[in-house]
Amino acid sequence: MNVVIGVGNPYRRDDAVGLIVADAVARRGVHAVQSDGEPAGLLLAWEGADLAVIVDAVVCEPATPGRIHRTPALPAMHGGMSSHSLGIPAAVALATALDRMPRRLVVYAVEAADVGLGVGLSDPVSHAVPWLVDHVLADLT
Amino acid sequence: MSHRARQLRVSALARVEGEGALNVVVRDGVVERTELRIYEPPRFFEALLRGRAHTEPPDITARICGICPVAYQLSACHAIEAACGVAVPEPVEALRRLLYCGEWISSHALHVYLLHAPDFLGYPDAITMAADHRDAVERGLALKKAGNALLEAVGGRAIHPVNVRVGGFYRAPTRAELAPVAEQLTAALYLALATVRWVAGFDFPSLELDHELLAVHEDDRYAITRGRLVSSGGLDFPVEEFPQHVVEHQVPHSTALHATLDGRRYLTGPLARYTLNHAQLSPLALTAAAEAGLGASCRNPFRSIVVRAVELVYAVDEALRLIESYEPPEPAAVAVPPMPGVGHGVTEAPRGLLYHRYTVGADGLITAAAIVPPTSQNQAAIEADLHALVAGNLALPDDELTPLCERAIRNYDPCISCSAHFLDLTRSPA
Repeated sequence: MNVVIGVGNPYRRDDAVGLIVADAVARRGVHAVQSDGEPAGLLLAWEGADLAVIVDAVVCEPATPGRIHRTPALPAMHGGMSSHSLGIPAAVALATALDRMPRRLVVYAVEAADVGLGVGLSDPVSHAVPWLVDHVLADLT
Repeated sequence: MSHRARQLRVSALARVEGEGALNVVVRDGVVERTELRIYEPPRFFEALLRGRAHTEPPDITARICGICPVAYQLSACHAIEAACGVAVPEPVEALRRLLYCGEWISSHALHVYLLHAPDFLGYPDAITMAADHRDAVERGLALKKAGNALLEAVGGRAIHPVNVRVGGFYRAPTRAELAPVAEQLTAALYLALATVRWVAGFDFPSLELDHELLAVHEDDRYAITRGRLVSSGGLDFPVEEFPQHVVEHQVPHSTALHATLDGRRYLTGPLARYTLNHAQLSPLALTAAAEAGLGASCRNPFRSIVVRAVELVYAVDEALRLIESYEPPEPAAVAVPPMPGVGHGVTEAPRGLLYHRYTVGADGLITAAAIVPPTSQNQAAIEADLHALVAGNLALPDDELTPLCERAIRNYDPCISCSAHFLDLTRSPA
Protein backbone atom coordinates (compact mmCIF):
# COMPACT_ATOMS: atom_id res chain seq x y z
CA MET A 1 0.00 0.00 0.00
CA ASN A 2 1.24 3.48 -0.87
CA VAL A 3 -0.14 6.70 0.56
CA VAL A 4 0.31 10.39 -0.18
CA ILE A 5 -0.17 12.62 2.86
CA GLY A 6 -0.74 16.32 2.34
CA VAL A 7 0.00 18.22 5.52
CA GLY A 8 -1.21 21.74 6.09
CA ASN A 9 -3.90 24.28 6.83
CA PRO A 10 -5.92 25.82 3.99
CA TYR A 11 -6.35 29.07 5.90
CA ARG A 12 -2.62 29.61 6.30
CA ARG A 13 -1.85 30.61 2.73
CA ASP A 14 1.24 28.66 1.55
CA ASP A 15 0.66 26.06 4.27
CA ALA A 16 -2.12 24.74 2.02
CA VAL A 17 0.33 23.50 -0.62
CA GLY A 18 0.46 19.95 0.76
CA LEU A 19 -3.33 19.70 0.82
CA ILE A 20 -3.57 20.98 -2.76
CA VAL A 21 -1.05 18.43 -4.02
CA ALA A 22 -2.81 15.62 -2.12
CA ASP A 23 -6.10 16.67 -3.70
CA ALA A 24 -4.58 16.74 -7.16
CA VAL A 25 -3.04 13.28 -6.93
CA ALA A 26 -6.25 11.89 -5.37
CA ARG A 27 -8.09 13.00 -8.51
CA ARG A 28 -5.68 10.78 -10.47
CA GLY A 29 -6.82 7.81 -8.41
CA VAL A 30 -4.00 7.79 -5.86
CA HIS A 31 -4.72 6.97 -2.20
CA ALA A 32 -4.14 10.36 -0.61
CA VAL A 33 -5.13 11.83 2.75
CA GLN A 34 -5.01 15.26 4.32
CA SER A 35 -3.42 15.82 7.69
CA ASP A 36 -2.96 18.70 10.06
CA GLY A 37 0.46 17.26 10.92
CA GLU A 38 -0.44 15.93 14.37
CA PRO A 39 2.14 13.15 14.95
CA ALA A 40 -0.13 10.32 16.13
CA GLY A 41 -2.45 11.02 13.21
CA LEU A 42 0.51 10.74 10.81
CA LEU A 43 1.48 7.37 12.31
CA LEU A 44 -2.04 6.09 11.71
CA ALA A 45 -2.16 7.59 8.20
CA TRP A 46 0.94 5.67 7.07
CA GLU A 47 0.18 2.49 9.04
CA GLY A 48 1.01 -0.53 6.90
CA ALA A 49 2.33 1.56 3.99
CA ASP A 50 5.24 0.43 1.81
CA LEU A 51 5.76 4.00 0.67
CA ALA A 52 4.46 7.19 2.28
CA VAL A 53 4.97 10.46 0.43
CA ILE A 54 4.41 13.59 2.52
CA VAL A 55 4.08 17.08 1.11
CA ASP A 56 4.31 19.99 3.54
CA ALA A 57 5.26 23.65 3.61
CA VAL A 58 8.26 24.81 5.63
CA VAL A 59 9.32 28.19 6.87
CA CYS A 60 13.04 28.79 6.30
CA GLU A 61 15.42 31.57 7.19
CA PRO A 62 16.45 32.81 4.75
CA ALA A 63 13.78 31.51 2.41
CA THR A 64 13.64 30.93 -1.30
CA PRO A 65 9.87 30.59 -1.66
CA GLY A 66 8.82 27.74 -3.90
CA ARG A 67 12.10 25.86 -3.54
CA ILE A 68 11.46 22.19 -2.96
CA HIS A 69 13.47 19.89 -0.74
CA ARG A 70 13.02 16.18 -1.23
CA THR A 71 14.30 14.22 1.72
CA PRO A 72 13.87 10.80 3.34
CA ALA A 73 12.82 12.59 6.54
CA LEU A 74 13.08 15.93 8.23
CA PRO A 75 15.71 16.49 10.89
CA ALA A 76 14.65 15.89 14.46
CA MET A 77 13.79 19.12 16.15
CA HIS A 78 14.00 20.25 19.71
CA GLY A 79 10.85 20.68 21.70
CA GLY A 80 9.19 17.31 21.80
CA MET A 81 5.74 16.72 20.46
CA SER A 82 2.54 18.59 20.88
CA SER A 83 -0.84 18.44 19.29
CA HIS A 84 -0.22 21.50 17.20
CA SER A 85 3.31 21.72 15.92
CA LEU A 86 6.45 20.04 14.70
CA GLY A 87 4.46 17.19 13.27
CA ILE A 88 6.69 15.27 10.89
CA PRO A 89 9.96 15.09 12.86
CA ALA A 90 8.04 14.12 16.00
CA ALA A 91 6.04 11.55 14.04
CA VAL A 92 9.24 10.03 12.62
CA ALA A 93 10.83 9.89 16.06
CA LEU A 94 7.75 8.32 17.63
CA ALA A 95 7.28 5.86 14.76
CA THR A 96 10.93 4.85 14.98
CA ALA A 97 10.56 4.18 18.72
CA LEU A 98 7.50 2.02 18.05
CA ASP A 99 8.70 0.31 14.84
CA ARG A 100 5.87 2.00 13.01
CA MET A 101 7.75 3.66 10.16
CA PRO A 102 6.56 2.97 6.63
CA ARG A 103 9.01 0.87 4.67
CA ARG A 104 9.99 4.02 2.78
CA LEU A 105 9.23 7.67 3.56
CA VAL A 106 9.71 10.58 1.18
CA VAL A 107 9.08 14.14 2.33
CA TYR A 108 8.65 17.06 -0.03
CA ALA A 109 9.17 20.26 1.92
CA VAL A 110 8.21 23.40 0.05
CA GLU A 111 9.68 26.68 1.21
CA ALA A 112 6.83 29.05 2.02
CA ALA A 113 6.67 32.77 1.39
CA ASP A 114 3.69 33.42 3.63
CA VAL A 115 2.00 31.27 6.27
CA GLY A 116 -0.04 34.12 7.72
CA LEU A 117 -3.80 33.84 8.12
CA GLY A 118 -5.56 33.87 4.78
CA VAL A 119 -6.36 31.82 1.72
CA GLY A 120 -4.46 31.40 -1.54
CA LEU A 121 -0.89 30.39 -2.34
CA SER A 122 1.85 32.89 -3.11
CA ASP A 123 2.96 32.88 -6.76
CA PRO A 124 6.26 31.04 -6.21
CA VAL A 125 4.59 28.27 -4.21
CA SER A 126 1.68 28.07 -6.63
CA HIS A 127 4.19 27.59 -9.49
CA ALA A 128 5.72 24.65 -7.62
CA VAL A 129 2.45 22.67 -7.54
CA PRO A 130 2.58 21.07 -11.04
CA TRP A 131 6.19 19.95 -10.46
CA LEU A 132 5.20 18.46 -7.11
CA VAL A 133 2.20 16.60 -8.54
CA ASP A 134 4.32 15.12 -11.35
CA HIS A 135 7.11 14.03 -9.02
CA VAL A 136 4.81 12.60 -6.34
CA LEU A 137 3.05 10.55 -9.02
CA ALA A 138 6.43 9.43 -10.37
CA ASP A 139 7.48 8.30 -6.88
CA LEU A 140 4.47 6.02 -6.76
CA THR A 141 5.10 4.25 -10.05
CA MET B 1 15.03 22.31 -7.14
CA SER B 2 17.18 20.73 -4.54
CA HIS B 3 17.26 17.00 -4.10
CA ARG B 4 19.84 17.13 -1.38
CA ALA B 5 19.09 16.97 2.28
CA ARG B 6 17.96 20.26 3.73
CA GLN B 7 20.78 22.71 4.02
CA LEU B 8 18.97 25.70 5.43
CA ARG B 9 17.99 26.20 8.99
CA VAL B 10 14.35 25.31 9.41
CA SER B 11 13.09 27.69 12.02
CA ALA B 12 9.64 26.15 12.24
CA LEU B 13 7.36 23.87 10.38
CA ALA B 14 4.22 25.48 9.19
CA ARG B 15 1.98 24.16 12.02
CA VAL B 16 1.69 27.42 13.85
CA GLU B 17 -1.76 27.44 15.46
CA GLY B 18 -0.02 27.05 18.77
CA GLU B 19 1.87 30.30 18.95
CA GLY B 20 1.99 31.57 22.47
CA ALA B 21 4.12 31.86 25.54
CA LEU B 22 3.99 32.29 29.24
CA ASN B 23 5.72 35.14 30.97
CA VAL B 24 6.09 34.97 34.72
CA VAL B 25 7.71 37.91 36.46
CA VAL B 26 8.93 37.48 40.01
CA ARG B 27 10.36 40.54 41.69
CA ASP B 28 11.75 40.65 45.23
CA GLY B 29 10.29 37.27 46.00
CA VAL B 30 6.78 38.22 44.90
CA VAL B 31 5.01 36.99 41.77
CA GLU B 32 4.35 40.24 39.97
CA ARG B 33 2.77 39.06 36.73
CA THR B 34 1.66 35.77 35.20
CA GLU B 35 0.79 36.35 31.59
CA LEU B 36 -0.23 33.64 29.21
CA ARG B 37 0.18 34.94 25.69
CA ILE B 38 -1.98 33.11 23.22
CA TYR B 39 -2.28 33.61 19.56
CA GLU B 40 -5.90 33.07 18.68
CA PRO B 41 -7.19 32.32 15.19
CA PRO B 42 -10.96 32.66 15.85
CA ARG B 43 -10.75 36.44 15.42
CA PHE B 44 -9.52 35.91 11.87
CA PHE B 45 -12.28 33.42 11.17
CA GLU B 46 -14.96 35.76 12.51
CA ALA B 47 -13.88 38.32 9.92
CA LEU B 48 -13.60 35.68 7.19
CA LEU B 49 -17.17 34.50 7.84
CA ARG B 50 -18.81 37.86 7.31
CA GLY B 51 -20.44 37.97 3.87
CA ARG B 52 -20.37 34.17 3.48
CA ALA B 53 -23.49 32.06 2.88
CA HIS B 54 -25.26 30.73 5.98
CA THR B 55 -24.33 27.19 4.91
CA GLU B 56 -20.57 27.80 5.02
CA PRO B 57 -19.57 28.16 8.71
CA PRO B 58 -19.37 24.40 9.49
CA ASP B 59 -16.72 23.80 6.84
CA ILE B 60 -14.81 27.02 7.38
CA THR B 61 -14.67 26.94 11.18
CA ALA B 62 -13.73 23.22 11.18
CA ARG B 63 -10.29 24.37 10.09
CA ILE B 64 -9.71 26.42 13.22
CA CYS B 65 -8.54 23.32 15.06
CA GLY B 66 -7.40 20.01 13.59
CA ILE B 67 -7.93 18.28 16.93
CA CYS B 68 -11.57 19.28 17.37
CA PRO B 69 -13.12 20.07 13.98
CA VAL B 70 -16.42 18.37 14.92
CA ALA B 71 -16.84 20.73 17.85
CA TYR B 72 -16.52 23.70 15.52
CA GLN B 73 -18.80 22.16 12.91
CA LEU B 74 -21.58 21.34 15.35
CA SER B 75 -21.48 24.56 17.37
CA ALA B 76 -21.73 26.32 13.98
CA CYS B 77 -24.62 24.11 12.80
CA HIS B 78 -26.61 24.66 15.99
CA ALA B 79 -26.13 28.42 15.85
CA ILE B 80 -27.12 28.70 12.17
CA GLU B 81 -30.12 26.41 12.63
CA ALA B 82 -31.23 28.43 15.65
CA ALA B 83 -30.92 31.66 13.66
CA CYS B 84 -33.11 30.16 10.93
CA GLY B 85 -35.62 28.69 13.37
CA VAL B 86 -34.96 25.04 12.51
CA ALA B 87 -34.53 22.15 14.95
CA VAL B 88 -33.08 18.94 13.51
CA PRO B 89 -34.96 15.67 14.18
CA GLU B 90 -33.72 13.42 17.01
CA PRO B 91 -32.18 10.75 14.70
CA VAL B 92 -29.97 13.42 13.10
CA GLU B 93 -29.04 14.72 16.53
CA ALA B 94 -28.15 11.17 17.61
CA LEU B 95 -25.85 10.77 14.61
CA ARG B 96 -24.19 14.07 15.52
CA ARG B 97 -23.63 12.78 19.04
CA LEU B 98 -22.10 9.60 17.62
CA LEU B 99 -19.73 11.65 15.46
CA TYR B 100 -18.81 13.82 18.43
CA CYS B 101 -18.00 10.70 20.50
CA GLY B 102 -15.41 9.87 17.83
CA GLU B 103 -13.78 13.25 18.35
CA TRP B 104 -13.74 12.85 22.14
CA ILE B 105 -12.15 9.42 21.84
CA SER B 106 -9.52 10.58 19.38
CA SER B 107 -8.68 13.81 21.18
CA HIS B 108 -8.70 12.41 24.73
CA ALA B 109 -6.56 9.40 23.71
CA LEU B 110 -4.03 11.79 22.17
CA HIS B 111 -3.90 14.06 25.19
CA VAL B 112 -3.89 11.38 27.89
CA TYR B 113 -1.23 9.16 26.31
CA LEU B 114 0.96 11.37 24.15
CA LEU B 115 0.80 14.80 25.74
CA HIS B 116 -0.09 14.44 29.42
CA ALA B 117 1.14 11.04 30.67
CA PRO B 118 4.85 11.85 30.10
CA ASP B 119 4.52 14.58 32.77
CA PHE B 120 3.48 12.03 35.39
CA LEU B 121 6.02 9.39 34.44
CA GLY B 122 8.96 11.77 34.30
CA TYR B 123 9.66 11.89 30.59
CA PRO B 124 10.22 15.01 28.50
CA ASP B 125 7.86 13.73 25.80
CA ALA B 126 5.98 10.71 24.49
CA ILE B 127 8.83 9.75 22.16
CA THR B 128 11.15 9.18 25.11
CA MET B 129 8.36 7.57 27.10
CA ALA B 130 7.66 5.11 24.27
CA ALA B 131 11.01 3.41 24.82
CA ASP B 132 10.00 2.32 28.34
CA HIS B 133 6.21 2.25 28.04
CA ARG B 134 5.65 0.95 24.58
CA ASP B 135 2.50 -0.99 25.51
CA ALA B 136 0.90 2.13 26.94
CA VAL B 137 1.68 4.25 23.88
CA GLU B 138 0.34 1.50 21.62
CA ARG B 139 -2.83 1.41 23.72
CA GLY B 140 -3.21 5.16 23.20
CA LEU B 141 -2.72 4.80 19.45
CA ALA B 142 -5.27 1.96 19.28
CA LEU B 143 -7.82 4.13 21.10
CA LYS B 144 -7.13 7.04 18.78
CA LYS B 145 -7.47 4.73 15.81
CA ALA B 146 -10.89 3.59 17.02
CA GLY B 147 -11.95 7.22 17.40
CA ASN B 148 -10.65 7.98 13.92
CA ALA B 149 -12.54 4.99 12.48
CA LEU B 150 -15.76 6.40 13.94
CA LEU B 151 -14.96 9.88 12.60
CA GLU B 152 -14.33 8.43 9.16
CA ALA B 153 -17.47 6.28 9.13
CA VAL B 154 -19.78 9.13 10.12
CA GLY B 155 -17.82 12.22 9.13
CA GLY B 156 -16.32 11.01 5.86
CA ARG B 157 -12.74 11.37 7.08
CA ALA B 158 -10.84 11.69 10.33
CA ILE B 159 -9.22 15.09 9.82
CA HIS B 160 -11.71 17.82 9.04
CA PRO B 161 -14.79 15.66 8.40
CA VAL B 162 -16.61 16.58 5.21
CA ASN B 163 -20.01 14.96 5.77
CA VAL B 164 -21.45 17.55 8.17
CA ARG B 165 -23.77 20.22 6.82
CA VAL B 166 -26.22 22.72 8.22
CA GLY B 167 -29.40 20.68 8.84
CA GLY B 168 -27.65 17.33 9.25
CA PHE B 169 -25.41 15.20 7.04
CA TYR B 170 -24.79 14.89 3.32
CA ARG B 171 -25.15 11.13 3.69
CA ALA B 172 -26.03 8.91 6.63
CA PRO B 173 -23.88 5.79 7.06
CA THR B 174 -25.66 2.45 6.79
CA ARG B 175 -25.87 0.02 9.71
CA ALA B 176 -23.51 -2.28 7.80
CA GLU B 177 -20.93 0.51 7.52
CA LEU B 178 -21.02 1.02 11.28
CA ALA B 179 -20.72 -2.69 12.15
CA PRO B 180 -16.90 -2.89 11.80
CA VAL B 181 -16.60 0.35 13.79
CA ALA B 182 -18.63 -1.21 16.60
CA GLU B 183 -16.21 -4.14 16.65
CA GLN B 184 -13.28 -1.75 17.00
CA LEU B 185 -15.10 0.18 19.72
CA THR B 186 -15.89 -2.98 21.66
CA ALA B 187 -12.16 -3.71 21.83
CA ALA B 188 -11.50 -0.04 22.62
CA LEU B 189 -13.81 -0.19 25.64
CA TYR B 190 -11.38 -2.51 27.41
CA LEU B 191 -8.50 -0.23 26.47
CA ALA B 192 -10.40 2.76 27.84
CA LEU B 193 -11.06 0.97 31.13
CA ALA B 194 -7.37 0.03 31.29
CA THR B 195 -6.57 3.70 30.72
CA VAL B 196 -8.55 4.72 33.80
CA ARG B 197 -6.74 2.12 35.94
CA TRP B 198 -3.38 3.23 34.53
CA VAL B 199 -3.75 6.96 35.18
CA ALA B 200 -5.43 6.44 38.56
CA GLY B 201 -2.06 5.12 39.79
CA PHE B 202 -0.15 8.30 38.94
CA ASP B 203 1.04 10.72 41.63
CA PHE B 204 -0.90 13.97 41.67
CA PRO B 205 0.48 17.19 43.14
CA SER B 206 -2.08 18.59 45.55
CA LEU B 207 -3.90 21.65 44.29
CA GLU B 208 -7.57 22.53 44.70
CA LEU B 209 -9.14 25.17 42.51
CA ASP B 210 -11.85 27.55 43.58
CA HIS B 211 -12.80 28.74 40.10
CA GLU B 212 -16.46 28.74 39.19
CA LEU B 213 -17.11 25.80 36.87
CA LEU B 214 -19.28 26.10 33.74
CA ALA B 215 -20.55 23.28 31.55
CA VAL B 216 -23.30 22.42 29.11
CA HIS B 217 -25.93 20.28 30.85
CA GLU B 218 -28.72 17.92 29.86
CA ASP B 219 -30.85 16.22 32.48
CA ASP B 220 -30.95 12.81 30.83
CA ARG B 221 -27.43 12.35 29.46
CA TYR B 222 -23.84 13.60 29.78
CA ALA B 223 -24.06 16.76 27.67
CA ILE B 224 -21.91 16.87 24.55
CA THR B 225 -23.70 18.28 21.52
CA ARG B 226 -26.29 20.55 23.13
CA GLY B 227 -27.95 21.64 26.31
CA ARG B 228 -28.33 24.58 28.66
CA LEU B 229 -25.49 26.05 30.68
CA VAL B 230 -25.06 25.41 34.39
CA SER B 231 -22.39 26.57 36.82
CA SER B 232 -21.10 25.53 40.22
CA GLY B 233 -22.20 28.96 41.42
CA GLY B 234 -25.82 28.10 40.74
CA LEU B 235 -26.25 29.68 37.31
CA ASP B 236 -28.62 27.91 34.93
CA PHE B 237 -29.37 29.59 31.62
CA PRO B 238 -30.15 28.79 27.97
CA VAL B 239 -27.49 29.30 25.30
CA GLU B 240 -29.34 32.41 24.05
CA GLU B 241 -28.32 34.16 27.28
CA PHE B 242 -24.62 33.29 26.90
CA PRO B 243 -23.67 36.84 25.81
CA GLN B 244 -25.37 38.30 28.89
CA HIS B 245 -23.29 36.15 31.23
CA VAL B 246 -20.00 35.65 29.41
CA VAL B 247 -18.14 38.79 28.50
CA GLU B 248 -14.83 38.85 26.68
CA HIS B 249 -12.33 41.60 27.16
CA GLN B 250 -8.95 42.45 25.75
CA VAL B 251 -5.86 42.07 27.88
CA PRO B 252 -2.68 43.85 26.86
CA HIS B 253 -0.38 40.81 26.87
CA SER B 254 -2.36 38.55 24.56
CA THR B 255 -4.17 38.68 21.24
CA ALA B 256 -6.69 36.29 22.79
CA LEU B 257 -9.60 37.72 24.69
CA HIS B 258 -10.16 36.88 28.34
CA ALA B 259 -13.68 35.81 29.25
CA THR B 260 -15.52 36.27 32.54
CA LEU B 261 -18.75 34.72 33.78
CA ASP B 262 -20.89 37.43 35.41
CA GLY B 263 -17.62 39.23 36.06
CA ARG B 264 -15.95 36.21 37.64
CA ARG B 265 -13.08 33.95 36.61
CA TYR B 266 -14.33 30.55 35.54
CA LEU B 267 -13.29 27.23 34.09
CA THR B 268 -14.74 24.96 31.43
CA GLY B 269 -13.60 21.49 30.34
CA PRO B 270 -13.32 18.03 31.88
CA LEU B 271 -13.20 19.15 35.54
CA ALA B 272 -16.29 21.31 35.07
CA ARG B 273 -18.15 18.62 33.11
CA TYR B 274 -17.40 15.89 35.62
CA THR B 275 -18.23 18.00 38.66
CA LEU B 276 -21.50 19.31 37.23
CA ASN B 277 -22.64 16.33 35.16
CA HIS B 278 -21.21 13.12 36.63
CA ALA B 279 -24.70 11.95 37.59
CA GLN B 280 -25.45 11.69 33.87
CA LEU B 281 -22.48 9.39 33.11
CA SER B 282 -23.25 5.80 32.10
CA PRO B 283 -23.12 3.15 34.86
CA LEU B 284 -19.87 1.77 33.43
CA ALA B 285 -18.18 5.19 33.38
CA LEU B 286 -19.44 5.92 36.91
CA THR B 287 -18.02 2.64 38.16
CA ALA B 288 -14.68 3.40 36.50
CA ALA B 289 -14.69 6.86 38.10
CA ALA B 290 -15.40 5.44 41.54
CA GLU B 291 -12.67 2.82 41.18
CA ALA B 292 -10.25 5.58 40.20
CA GLY B 293 -11.06 7.43 43.40
CA LEU B 294 -13.05 10.28 41.88
CA GLY B 295 -15.76 11.60 44.16
CA ALA B 296 -18.68 13.89 43.51
CA SER B 297 -16.41 16.64 42.26
CA CYS B 298 -12.89 17.01 40.95
CA ARG B 299 -11.11 20.31 41.43
CA ASN B 300 -7.49 19.22 41.18
CA PRO B 301 -6.34 20.14 37.64
CA PHE B 302 -3.60 17.47 37.75
CA ARG B 303 -6.37 14.87 38.10
CA SER B 304 -7.94 16.07 34.84
CA ILE B 305 -6.10 13.16 33.21
CA VAL B 306 -8.28 10.78 35.26
CA VAL B 307 -11.42 12.63 34.24
CA ARG B 308 -10.38 12.48 30.57
CA ALA B 309 -9.85 8.74 30.94
CA VAL B 310 -13.33 8.35 32.48
CA GLU B 311 -14.75 10.42 29.61
CA LEU B 312 -12.94 8.09 27.20
CA VAL B 313 -14.84 5.16 28.76
CA TYR B 314 -18.06 7.14 28.51
CA ALA B 315 -17.53 8.18 24.87
CA VAL B 316 -16.78 4.61 23.77
CA ASP B 317 -19.69 3.23 25.80
CA GLU B 318 -22.06 5.90 24.47
CA ALA B 319 -20.91 5.37 20.87
CA LEU B 320 -21.62 1.64 21.19
CA ARG B 321 -25.07 2.39 22.60
CA LEU B 322 -25.83 4.80 19.75
CA ILE B 323 -24.65 2.33 17.11
CA GLU B 324 -26.72 -0.45 18.71
CA SER B 325 -29.93 1.55 18.34
CA TYR B 326 -28.93 3.25 15.08
CA GLU B 327 -31.29 3.61 12.16
CA PRO B 328 -30.09 5.86 9.34
CA PRO B 329 -32.00 9.15 9.57
CA GLU B 330 -34.26 9.66 6.58
CA PRO B 331 -33.65 12.23 5.20
CA ALA B 332 -30.07 12.68 6.38
CA ALA B 333 -30.56 16.45 6.54
CA VAL B 334 -33.48 18.81 6.88
CA ALA B 335 -33.74 21.98 4.82
CA VAL B 336 -32.55 25.13 6.56
CA PRO B 337 -33.77 28.05 4.45
CA PRO B 338 -32.11 31.31 5.46
CA MET B 339 -34.08 33.57 7.75
CA PRO B 340 -32.87 36.87 9.15
CA GLY B 341 -31.96 36.53 12.79
CA VAL B 342 -29.37 35.74 15.43
CA GLY B 343 -28.56 32.18 16.49
CA HIS B 344 -26.46 30.74 19.31
CA GLY B 345 -24.85 27.31 19.50
CA VAL B 346 -22.82 25.62 22.20
CA THR B 347 -21.24 22.18 22.45
CA GLU B 348 -18.66 20.51 24.69
CA ALA B 349 -15.37 20.32 22.78
CA PRO B 350 -12.91 17.88 24.38
CA ARG B 351 -11.09 20.73 26.11
CA GLY B 352 -14.14 22.80 27.08
CA LEU B 353 -17.26 24.48 25.88
CA LEU B 354 -17.30 26.13 22.50
CA TYR B 355 -19.82 28.87 21.73
CA HIS B 356 -20.75 30.25 18.30
CA ARG B 357 -23.11 33.11 17.43
CA TYR B 358 -24.13 34.16 13.93
CA THR B 359 -26.28 36.94 12.59
CA VAL B 360 -27.87 35.98 9.28
CA GLY B 361 -29.25 38.63 6.92
CA ALA B 362 -32.41 38.39 4.79
CA ASP B 363 -30.21 37.45 1.82
CA GLY B 364 -28.83 34.45 3.69
CA LEU B 365 -25.40 36.01 4.15
CA ILE B 366 -23.70 36.21 7.52
CA THR B 367 -23.36 39.74 8.80
CA ALA B 368 -21.69 38.99 12.13
CA ALA B 369 -19.96 36.03 13.76
CA ALA B 370 -18.62 35.44 17.27
CA ILE B 371 -16.66 32.39 18.40
CA VAL B 372 -15.70 31.87 22.04
CA PRO B 373 -13.29 28.91 22.25
CA PRO B 374 -12.51 27.00 25.45
CA THR B 375 -8.92 28.14 25.69
CA SER B 376 -9.80 31.83 25.91
CA GLN B 377 -12.48 31.05 28.51
CA ASN B 378 -9.95 29.14 30.59
CA GLN B 379 -7.10 31.58 30.15
CA ALA B 380 -7.70 33.62 33.31
CA ALA B 381 -8.10 30.43 35.36
CA ILE B 382 -4.85 29.01 33.99
CA GLU B 383 -3.04 32.24 34.82
CA ALA B 384 -4.45 32.17 38.35
CA ASP B 385 -3.28 28.57 38.82
CA LEU B 386 0.19 29.45 37.59
CA HIS B 387 0.32 32.42 39.89
CA ALA B 388 -0.50 30.21 42.88
CA LEU B 389 1.89 27.51 41.73
CA VAL B 390 4.83 29.88 41.28
CA ALA B 391 4.12 31.70 44.54
CA GLY B 392 4.07 28.39 46.39
CA ASN B 393 7.29 27.10 44.81
CA LEU B 394 9.58 30.12 44.71
CA ALA B 395 12.36 28.13 46.37
CA LEU B 396 12.67 25.91 43.31
CA PRO B 397 15.41 26.75 40.82
CA ASP B 398 14.30 27.91 37.37
CA ASP B 399 15.02 24.56 35.77
CA GLU B 400 12.51 22.91 38.11
CA LEU B 401 9.95 25.68 38.32
CA THR B 402 9.70 26.08 34.56
CA PRO B 403 8.73 22.44 33.86
CA LEU B 404 6.22 22.59 36.72
CA CYS B 405 4.56 25.58 35.05
CA GLU B 406 4.54 23.80 31.70
CA ARG B 407 2.90 20.87 33.39
CA ALA B 408 0.26 23.07 34.93
CA ILE B 409 -0.56 24.45 31.50
CA ARG B 410 -0.86 20.98 29.99
CA ASN B 411 -3.44 20.08 32.63
CA TYR B 412 -5.86 22.13 30.57
CA ASP B 413 -5.03 20.62 27.18
CA PRO B 414 -5.06 24.13 25.77
CA CYS B 415 -4.56 24.74 22.08
CA ILE B 416 -1.09 25.95 22.95
CA SER B 417 0.35 22.71 24.29
CA CYS B 418 3.36 23.25 22.11
CA SER B 419 4.09 26.78 23.16
CA ALA B 420 4.46 25.69 26.76
CA HIS B 421 7.87 24.42 25.70
CA PHE B 422 8.93 27.99 25.02
CA LEU B 423 8.03 29.15 28.45
CA ASP B 424 9.89 32.26 29.46
CA LEU B 425 10.40 32.61 33.19
CA THR B 426 11.67 36.01 34.23
CA ARG B 427 12.91 36.73 37.72
CA SER B 428 14.48 39.91 38.95
CA PRO B 429 18.09 39.62 40.22
CA ALA B 430 18.28 38.52 43.83
